[in-house]
Formats: sequence, C-alpha cells, structure tokens
Amino acid sequence: MRKKKFAALIVAVALFLPTIMFGGGSVDVDESAEVSIEFWHAMSGARIELIQGIVDKFMEENPNIKVDVQYTGSYNDTLNKVKSAYKAGNAPDIFHSYEIGTLGLINSGIISPIDEIAEKFKREIPWDDFFTPVQSYYKYDGKHYSMPFNSSTPLIYYNKTFFEKAGLDPENPPKTFGEIREAALALKAAGYETPVTWNLHSWYFEQMICLQDEPFVNDKNGRSGTLPTEVVFNGPAGQKVLEWWVGMEQEGLFLDVGPGWSNHRAAFGSGEAAIIMSSSSDVNVLTAALAEKGWEMGTGYIPRPEGSKGGVAIGGGSLWMTNNHTPEEELATLKLLTYISEDEAQIAWHKGTGYFPVRKTAMDQLKAEGWFVENPNYLTAFNQLLDSPETLNTAGSLLGIFPEVRDMVQSAIQEMYAGKPVKEGLDEVAAKANASIAEWNDVIQ
Amino acid sequence: MPYVLLVPTFLVLIVFLFYPAIETFRLSFFKIHPWTGAEKFAGFYNFIKIFKNPDYMDSFILSAIFALAVIIAGLFFSLLVAILLNTKLKGMRFYRSFLIWPYALSPAIAGALFRFLFNPANGVLCYFTGTRTWLTSEKTAIIVVIIAAVWKNLGYNIIFYLTALRNVPGACLESASIDGAGPVKKFIYVTFAFLSPTTFFLFIMNTIYAYFASFGLIDVLTEGGPAGSTRILIYHLYKDFFVHSKIGYAAAESLVLFTLVVGVTMLQFRTTGKKVHYQ
Repeated sequence: MRKKKFAALIVAVALFLPTIMFGGGSVDVDESAEVSIEFWHAMSGARIELIQGIVDKFMEENPNIKVDVQYTGSYNDTLNKVKSAYKAGNAPDIFHSYEIGTLGLINSGIISPIDEIAEKFKREIPWDDFFTPVQSYYKYDGKHYSMPFNSSTPLIYYNKTFFEKAGLDPENPPKTFGEIREAALALKAAGYETPVTWNLHSWYFEQMICLQDEPFVNDKNGRSGTLPTEVVFNGPAGQKVLEWWVGMEQEGLFLDVGPGWSNHRAAFGSGEAAIIMSSSSDVNVLTAALAEKGWEMGTGYIPRPEGSKGGVAIGGGSLWMTNNHTPEEELATLKLLTYISEDEAQIAWHKGTGYFPVRKTAMDQLKAEGWFVENPNYLTAFNQLLDSPETLNTAGSLLGIFPEVRDMVQSAIQEMYAGKPVKEGLDEVAAKANASIAEWNDVIQ
Repeated sequence: MPYVLLVPTFLVLIVFLFYPAIETFRLSFFKIHPWTGAEKFAGFYNFIKIFKNPDYMDSFILSAIFALAVIIAGLFFSLLVAILLNTKLKGMRFYRSFLIWPYALSPAIAGALFRFLFNPANGVLCYFTGTRTWLTSEKTAIIVVIIAAVWKNLGYNIIFYLTALRNVPGACLESASIDGAGPVKKFIYVTFAFLSPTTFFLFIMNTIYAYFASFGLIDVLTEGGPAGSTRILIYHLYKDFFVHSKIGYAAAESLVLFTLVVGVTMLQFRTTGKKVHYQ
C-alpha cells in the first residue's frame, strides 16, 4: 500500500515538475518530450561532416531531440529553398544565412528573433560572452535576431619567400594603400609580373569603406530601425578605395581574376601572385597550398588609406529560427543554437575551418592550449577585429537588397577596369541602387 | 476510352506545365513580397520597369547576337564533323563516340572545363595564347562563352546530321555524278537538299538552346560579366528571380522571353520553313 502511494507521488511529481520549473508566466512545455527538428546549412565539403559531428554530440547529450541536418547548397540556394518550404508550410526550424541577408530576414515575416524565443522560455543567452563585433552585427533595434555562427573578416595573405627575394621585410606586411602599391612595385621589379590580386567581390570594397569609419548606406548604416533609403558609398571614402584598387589594375600591378572564390587562391598557390586578399576562413587552405611548394605564408590586416581610423565589420553567416513551430520544437531549436555557440562546438569549428569562435571563453581556452603559438596566422583575423573601434559603421551595414547591390558594384568595378572614371561609375551604381531600394521598401511594407 | 488513356499525360502537363505557365502570367501583373509571397496588383508596372531598364535592352541585343552565333557556328561545325564521321575510316566508331560525348556533360561541367582552360591566373589556353584576359575582357568573354556553348551542343547536332547523311539516297548522288557534278556541286545540290529538314529542325532546337539552356554555362564561366557583357536574357532572369528575389520582374521577363522565342520560331517556320524539301 505504501509503495503504491509512493509510486503515485512520483508520477504526480514527474507530471507536474515541468510546470513548476517553467511556472511564473512562461510557456508550459514538456522538456523531455520526443521532438525532431530540421537544420539547413550552407557549408560544403569537409564542413558538412564537421557540422554533423557537432550536432551528433548535441543529440547524445539530448537523447529526446532528433536533429535532421542538411546541406542545402550555397547561402543563396538555401534561402530560396527556405522560401519555397515556408510557403509550402514545412520550413526547417533552423537555417543558415549570410550576413548580408540580415535586414531582409528581419523584415521577412517568416522568422522568430532568437532573443524573443529565449525570453519566452526564460533562458539566458550570455551575449556578454560573445565578441562585441560579432553579436552587434546581428542585433537590431535592441534585439538579437539570429545566432552568430561562422564569422570571418578579410585578410591580406602574402608569400614571405617572395617578399625576401624582392628585398621586402617578410615579417612586416604592408598595411596601407600606399605600402601595398610600393610592395607591388618592388615585387614587380624582382620579376613577379602581376604581384597583387583578389577576386572581384564587393565585400572588400565595403570593408575598406568601413576602415575609414564611413557608412555604406544612410539611416545610421541601416541600423536606425527604419529601412535605409539610399546608399552612400559613392562619397570620397568609396572613391578613395577604388581609385587605388582600379589604379593598381591599370598599372599592371593587379591581376583581374574575375568573380568567384577559386581563381585568386589558385594564383596565390601557383606563385602568380605574392599578395592576395581573401576571407580569414582561408587560412587552412592557403597555408597548405604554399607549404606544398615550400613557400612560407604570412597574414596581415587588410590595407587602409593612410591615417584612417576605422575598423573591419564581421562577415560570414548566422543561424535563424523560422516562426510557427510548437513550443517543444522552439525549445529544442534554442537548445541546439545555444549548444553550437558554446566552447566545445566553437573550438572544433574554429580548428576545422578557420572561422573564429564567437565567444570569449572559447578564445581563452584556445589561447591556454597554445593553439595560436602553433598557428599564429589564425590570430591575425582576431586581432584585426578586436582592434576595430565600436561604431555603427563597424557593426556592419544593413540593407535589404544587399545581394543585388553587390552585383551592381562588381559590374561597375569591371567597367572601371575597362576605363570608366571611378566617380562616374560609382554615381551610376548609386542611382541604380537607390531606385531598387525604393522598390524593395515599397514591396516589403 | 481514348480520353481515359490521355488522363495521366494531361495530369502531368497540368501540374508541371499549364499551371506554372498560367501562374507566371498572373504573377507578372503583381508586386510580390519576396518572403511571404503577399501580392499587390500592379498592372503593367513590371513590364514598364523592365523595358525602361537600359541593361535589359542591352541584354536583348546581346541575346540575339549570342543566339545567331551559336546557331551558325554550331550547325556549321557539326555538319563538318558529321561529314568527316560519315567516311569509312579505321576506328570510326571510336571517334564517333568521342565527338558526341560532350553532349553528355551538364552545362555546369562544360563551364568548369572552359574556366579551367581560360582561368586568368593559370589557365592553359591563357598561357599558350599569351593573353590572360579572355574571360575578364568585355570583348572576348562573350567569344569564350559562344565557343563553350557551341562545343557543348556539338554532339546533339552531330547525331542528327549523321543520321540524315546516312539517309541520303546513294542513287541520287550516283546519278548526279553521271551528269558530271563534282563533289562540291553534289554536296550543295543533292546532299544539302536532303539535309534541309534536319537543318531546319536543328535551327529551331539551337535557337531554343541558345535562349534558354545556356545559363549554367554563363553562371560558371563569367557570372554575366565582365560588366554585363555576357548577361543574356535568361541569365538576367535567373539573377532577378533567384538572387534578387524580384518575383514580379522575373515573371514578366520570362513571359517576354517566351513570347520572343515563340515569335522567332514562327518566323523561321514562315520563312526558312518554306524552303525545306521533304522527301
């Protein structure tokens, strides 16, 4: 009889415990219920296995949660798939987007801001432990909208062996526009035909405007809470960047390798180029490519106009939650996102890819391990980011039609390579972009 | 009973052809929210906008030049190869399969091959020609794209020409020889006349190929650049829908493109089609 009563008590406690734990106005949810969620990401190659590994660990720790991870193509493909899946009523719980999709997604009407979900379940996300530039990019109107995941900045990569042959200091990479040009001239004189290159990408243009602490769009760089209405990159800051960049191309110091992410890497790996700019997530690949030839590689901050005081903004991507899911699914999603931002996952992710960890504790652990003593090039991107002042410009610009504006800027740079004056080209792009922004703002509201 | 047998076909056509076509027609008159799909009626707004866009008009002319080049070069070279393949040589079956093989590649793979050859950093053909700017100069990028598009479709054209060449009746060629026609005359007046239905068919198929099927190649090779010099209509449409999320624009553009290709094909039937000699 006693045993029966005791059993009844246990059952009662088991039934009501969740309610007690999550009482106080929050949502009733059975935390141990079996739940399955979907996670779509845009990281190809070896990174597919890496993400699967992180998620597998999470599932081991949370046996009631089943996560279906899928690689759904590029960022752009992933977003298109999310769009159609959402319309069909089966959107994934989590999807991966590039940073430039942020303002579009905030206004998309298909997502739940992560801060709102965390509040709903009374879970604290320790944003103070995230690096400021990382978390401030995804914060809008006082709220975090998505979980920072793969974070990178552009870097200068240079061939130390070639620097030595050209009589340049291999331990002291060029830091300004002028120094890059001088190094290029010295390398050219030493027989390196077109010593500088990077892929045709508007990202570098954006970052080098940021280095001058100037905005890319109006309305506080798109962060005022209202939709930006105009681009401002055609001012003196933007002109300065392209006068230098296009000027080097026309002088024959810079090799135009076109768009995409493989040609400039190939040029660097084959020794065609001695200085390139690329994403900090390329450290792994490029170190290996140069080591194969017996050359030594160095990294440096991206160059800036002499005397400018700005910094870089974060690039890469973040993880978003779609709306209209059950509380159980939402909680499981929140748990997974939190898990991915924690030290173990972030350290594995950093070591496997070169993207940097998003949180300070993970960074401290890597430092304590001596990881950066063995891999000093990984530290460059970090220091570059942490040396950046905190302003609305270095928080990164937000714009709904960012992908389209990038296409426009890239097309304009190609026209400048062919001889169009920089100012004229930039003014034309700005006019086109502004017209397109007006249309987008009209449709989105 | 015959209607019952037609049902499966019609179901497939309705789901995959008629419904999307009607939907595209409808959407071209709306402004559409890129995420939720919410619609606002806009009349001819999308059409007016795309025709007022100078880039789109440039794309019109570019597409016409591209299509013409692909058709003429494509038919010329495939006929040439087909004639060679129709001779009796040792190991001919081997050559045949190897010359038809490019058709089995997907456009993206064909694009990757050409990008490898013309890569400005270390492309093999850039090295041998001494010019790095094949894909990065506005003047030459379109030429590389045309060559790649022709090469990619060569196998398709060859198969049809080869079959047609084999069906040219020997008796006709023989009687032409007896009448004193040389090889050139025989080819022009006898063989080519027998090939005219095939040529006409390939003319139309290559038009459709050039307008619709070459976007994968361009995406991999140039992304429509440099400075829009390879951005043909179908690539413009792809960018507007899949990258820029302008659904209304894209619907209008695909309607324009559809009308254009139907128009060109009709024109071909009216003009060239009359000169075709069917046996």
